[in-house]
Amino acid sequence: MKGVIFNVLEEMVVEQYSMQVWNEILESQSVDGIYTAGESYPDEELFNLVSSISDKTGMMPNTLIEAFGIRLFKGLATRYPLFIEAEDTLKGFLKSIDSVIHTEVRKLYDNPNLPDFEYAENTDDTLLMRYRSPRKLCILAEGLIRGAATHYDTAITIDHPVCMHKGSDHCDLILRFI
Amino acid sequence: MGIQDQENAYKVAYEREKRARLKAEELLENKSREIFLQNERLKENLDLLQKQQTTILQNEKLATLGTIAAGMAHEINNPLAFVKSNIESLGRYHCSYTRLISFIQNINEALPSTVQADLEKLFEEEDIEFIQEDLPELMTDTVEGLTRVRDIVMNLRSFARIQSTGRSSANVVDGILSTLKLLNSELKNTVEVKLDLEPIPEFPCNLNELNQVFLNLIINAKHATEDREKPIIEISTRTVQSEIIIEITDNGSGMSEEVEKEIFVPFYTTKPIGSGTGMGLAIAYGIIKDHDGEISVHSIEGQGTTFTIKLPTHPSESIE
Repeated sequence: MKGVIFNVLEEMVVEQYSMQVWNEILESQSVDGIYTAGESYPDEELFNLVSSISDKTGMMPNTLIEAFGIRLFKGLATRYPLFIEAEDTLKGFLKSIDSVIHTEVRKLYDNPNLPDFEYAENTDDTLLMRYRSPRKLCILAEGLIRGAATHYDTAITIDHPVCMHKGSDHCDLILRFI
Repeated sequence: MGIQDQENAYKVAYEREKRARLKAEELLENKSREIFLQNERLKENLDLLQKQQTTILQNEKLATLGTIAAGMAHEINNPLAFVKSNIESLGRYHCSYTRLISFIQNINEALPSTVQADLEKLFEEEDIEFIQEDLPELMTDTVEGLTRVRDIVMNLRSFARIQSTGRSSANVVDGILSTLKLLNSELKNTVEVKLDLEPIPEFPCNLNELNQVFLNLIINAKHATEDREKPIIEISTRTVQSEIIIEITDNGSGMSEEVEKEIFVPFYTTKPIGSGTGMGLAIAYGIIKDHDGEISVHSIEGQGTTFTIKLPTHPSESIE
């Protein structure tokens, strides 16, 4: 997992709780907490930090991950405004993730372990995003989509009928634009 | 300064440092992106350079082979001329010799019996009867062999571009169509020929030679598609600025890069022994070079091959 994800997690904890809480979480995990945006760190380290935040704050892990997804979008949008500026609509932005954003990320980082997205558009204003990743971070993806919806000021609902956590090899995120 | 003021000062400093770090990371990423894009451009240029180097090496090799071929053709041609002349004389001598043998056989009975016996013994010892039978066949085989040597020498001369090339203004599209007509029985019912022939201006060329190039390429394309369910040969012509471009594409077996590099080398063939001379494309190369043009090949193994011929509409040699 890239350091930038850890950086945004730190921002979220510091903003919503305090610097001290973040220090305590790092201490409880016996990690030094030095994360550089472009560097890769073990996935486990992030999952342990999230679990520790959940324990400390009493937030359910899935609620926390989704909230983090929303905050992560904001953090990434601030750092990489180019991708947001390139698209005028939420749908346009979401559809550019696999072909544009991930391509750009690959230019910057070797072996970034990106998830795969497939898209299917229906006439009834829904967009199916099929998510595949060995990390199974579909809840984080949902949060990121909600963060994007807030940024583009677009109301959506997300259905998640097929999930990797329920034995499928992919997740179906069905977005309805309302 | 109170504790709170001190804490605030640290917070301000922390946030300033954080902004500085973000700036540093942004700088690093911009540089990484620049390096990535530069690297991509370098890779493309390197690829192009390698291709150009391969072409230069191939052209140099073919030019060297052309010089050798010209030398060989010249050196073989001289003895070939007197061997051919001698064989013609030997043929005439054989007629005289046959007449002599017949004469001796006819007067045999009039000769004294001792002489008859000596003659018979001599005929038997020298196996004159067999020589008489074998000589015509030996002469025919020798003439055939010499004809083959002459053809090889001519092919070498074609490759080496040392033949006189009488040029006159002609239309290459007409040449392609007449070549296809010539090959009609060969191609009919075996391969689909798709034509996309844009009209192109007449230009000074040796159309007979160019037709030979088209013939060689089309025949090769046909052979390459023999195993295909739906064999297709596509022939197109167009003019780009002052260049005529002719492309002959097949959906045949294609060739490996190694074969592609050797394809214009004289006597290089992938066909079974006896099926091809390996001179077809070498001759095509020589003829196109003689027209100040270029011939190149692009092939994907298992998918097919495209031969591209580029001819200048104003070659250096003027119309004769």
